[in-house]
Amino acid sequence: MYPKQEVVAMLLAGGQGSRLGVLTKKLAKPAVPFGGKYRIIDFPLSNCINSGIEAVGVLTQYQPLLLNEYIGNGQPWDLDGMQTGVTCLSPYQAVDGADWYSGTANAIYQNINFIDRYSPEYVVILSGDHIYKMDYADMIKAHKKNNAACTIAVIDVSIEEASRFGILNTYENGEIYEFDEKPEHPKSTNASMGIYVFTWEKLRKYLIDDENNKDSDHDFGKNVLPLMLNSGERMFAYNFEGYWKDVGTIDSLWDANMDILNPRVPLDLKGIYSRNPMLPPQYLGENAEIQNSLIADGCEVDGKLEFSILFSGVKVGKGAEINSSIIMPGAVIEEGAKVNYAIISENAVIEKGAVVGGIPEDFPNRDDWGVAVVGDGLRVAQGAHVAPKAMIYEDVEV
Amino acid sequence: MGINLAGIIFANLYEDNIPELTAKRTIASVPFGGKYRLIDFTLSNMSNSGINNVALLTRKNFHSLMDHVGTGFAWDLSKRRSGLALLPPYGNHSFANRIESLYHIHGYIENLREEYLLLSASDSVANIDYQKMFEFHLKNEADITILYKNRVIPENTQSPIVVSTDETGLITQMLVDPDTTEVCKVSAGSIIIGRDLLLKLVRECISRNTLSFKRHLLQNNVGNLKMYGYEFEGHMSVITSLNSYYKENMKLMNPEVRAELFNPLRPIYTKVRDDAPCRYGLTSKVKGSLVSQGCVIDGEVDSSILSKGVQIGKGAVVRNCIIMQDTVIGEGANLEYVIIDKDCTVGDNVKLSGSESYPMYISKQSTVN
Repeated sequence: MYPKQEVVAMLLAGGQGSRLGVLTKKLAKPAVPFGGKYRIIDFPLSNCINSGIEAVGVLTQYQPLLLNEYIGNGQPWDLDGMQTGVTCLSPYQAVDGADWYSGTANAIYQNINFIDRYSPEYVVILSGDHIYKMDYADMIKAHKKNNAACTIAVIDVSIEEASRFGILNTYENGEIYEFDEKPEHPKSTNASMGIYVFTWEKLRKYLIDDENNKDSDHDFGKNVLPLMLNSGERMFAYNFEGYWKDVGTIDSLWDANMDILNPRVPLDLKGIYSRNPMLPPQYLGENAEIQNSLIADGCEVDGKLEFSILFSGVKVGKGAEINSSIIMPGAVIEEGAKVNYAIISENAVIEKGAVVGGIPEDFPNRDDWGVAVVGDGLRVAQGAHVAPKAMIYEDVEV
Repeated sequence: MGINLAGIIFANLYEDNIPELTAKRTIASVPFGGKYRLIDFTLSNMSNSGINNVALLTRKNFHSLMDHVGTGFAWDLSKRRSGLALLPPYGNHSFANRIESLYHIHGYIENLREEYLLLSASDSVANIDYQKMFEFHLKNEADITILYKNRVIPENTQSPIVVSTDETGLITQMLVDPDTTEVCKVSAGSIIIGRDLLLKLVRECISRNTLSFKRHLLQNNVGNLKMYGYEFEGHMSVITSLNSYYKENMKLMNPEVRAELFNPLRPIYTKVRDDAPCRYGLTSKVKGSLVSQGCVIDGEVDSSILSKGVQIGKGAVVRNCIIMQDTVIGEGANLEYVIIDKDCTVGDNVKLSGSESYPMYISKQSTVN
């Protein structure tokens, strides 16, 4: 017997995140390092336990090795109960065949048994690629109060941005009457955050209905939510105020990292849990100059650092200069190398005097400029150059 | 595969040497190197050497120790069939010395699967491969193997043991507290002994009321038993006074010492706290320092060690200091040669200074204005 849970959370973590290019070549997007010591998935997992949700399913499909290993038994997030906690759910083979997860709704459909074990009243559907802190308990409270079948978290965006999002049009009481996917002329600025609370009994029925529809893409946004609305279900928007960012692109990932360095951005990392590598404290050498940066355990820095984030175990040699960049675990920036507006992936080596990226002010035409990205384990040879906006998949020689 | 060796650590041994830091904690739980406690080194060494069962013998002041080690999970010592055992005094038994303590835990020792024991103090910092020492012990069919280091006896050491050995390592002479300032083979706080032999020797000592571990159990048996010395050649810090605490901490500024102590193949583990990475503000100026996660630095820090969660205010200057967990240094404060314990607050513009040979110490949870 599994202990009954009022709420079960299902975290969609199977997407490739192809817009992150080389960063997601070997790992799923939710496993991408973020904020100096975290991985993206730490945010929704920490939100779950901080909201009192103790049963969490993580749906994995694309490159799950690292993600599975990272989540492990869930101990760092206190999600390692005897019969609750976090469970990685991969596609599987059954009596009537085997199938990949063909869409977000299909992924949940294939795991109805996992959810049923806990006989929950509500299911929360989350994405593994958002940076935010949120108390889901508040949202569930609103869901109950509205006696809703589905509640969708929305954030107020500017009218210019609105056409990049799924926009929800609501009555004054918050009840949704229309979905507007990336509208050319948005009627409101309520952008869906991809966070849904469902009454399980209702969702279960619509998942089965959707699965039986051969023409469906089995996607929440495209299929299941419109189906529910058209069937007359009570669906409400829940206004979230606070920091939230979808980090699906290189630019937004870089922006969100830089936001942590901005004291005016309301994102406090307290209460976000992660696995901690066993490394000694960071050592700053005699030539270190560090301003407005974030540095994790195990780093050795003897260079100059401005507006940058160093993950655990990064080495920065004497005279190296790093500006507005993100250096992921174990990377080495050798003596005299220059790194500007770049993301250097895990264990990459930027050799002596090499230059990666450039400063936007140096480019009269801003379209020529962008964040440079060096893939994991790669080597940028002594004296070599990596242009701004470049995405590096192979070693770079002079 | 487990090793046929279990660990026993004395968590309070020699703590009178640094009364300042052990007023409210065991010597084992004294903070060291920014994010560690002394016990982390001994526990990690044992765990990295394949030891699965470790007993922590403690007699007082052990709340901070219990809080730190928990179930032993952080050192991989929380298994179904083995792990960490915290053994405080029970009944009316005296745990006043090592002989009596070992006598009163004979039940625990008899129940161990392992046939050999590694006894260790917890007043030193080193990265030791005990597996090699154990192989040496077995190869020589020794009764007792004593870890030693070629060095001058550290100042203020309590009854140091000095051994002489022949070329095979067999101990030919053992002196306790000799009058010498020369480099000699100074015992380094760890011995390996057969479980049954230890129980027998402890019982003998108890029956004769000869309760000195060093003089009665070890020294009196030179010649009767096959005792070997095993040299440790690496870096070792022994904490024998507040002064040596300061100096040994500062040795971590040496990259060779750090590389040896924090060997990635034999990591030093500690209790995890979910601190954010260290945040350096726009006005920060930090060099030649060891800094832990969770710190927020807006001032100047030079040649200092900061533990987790320390805050340095704007315009503050911290030089040659050791600042422990969650202490807050106010704006414009000026500190030199100061050791500040956990959870202290130093007000804005306060000036504190000690000297290199006699650092100032501020005790836990103090407020200095």
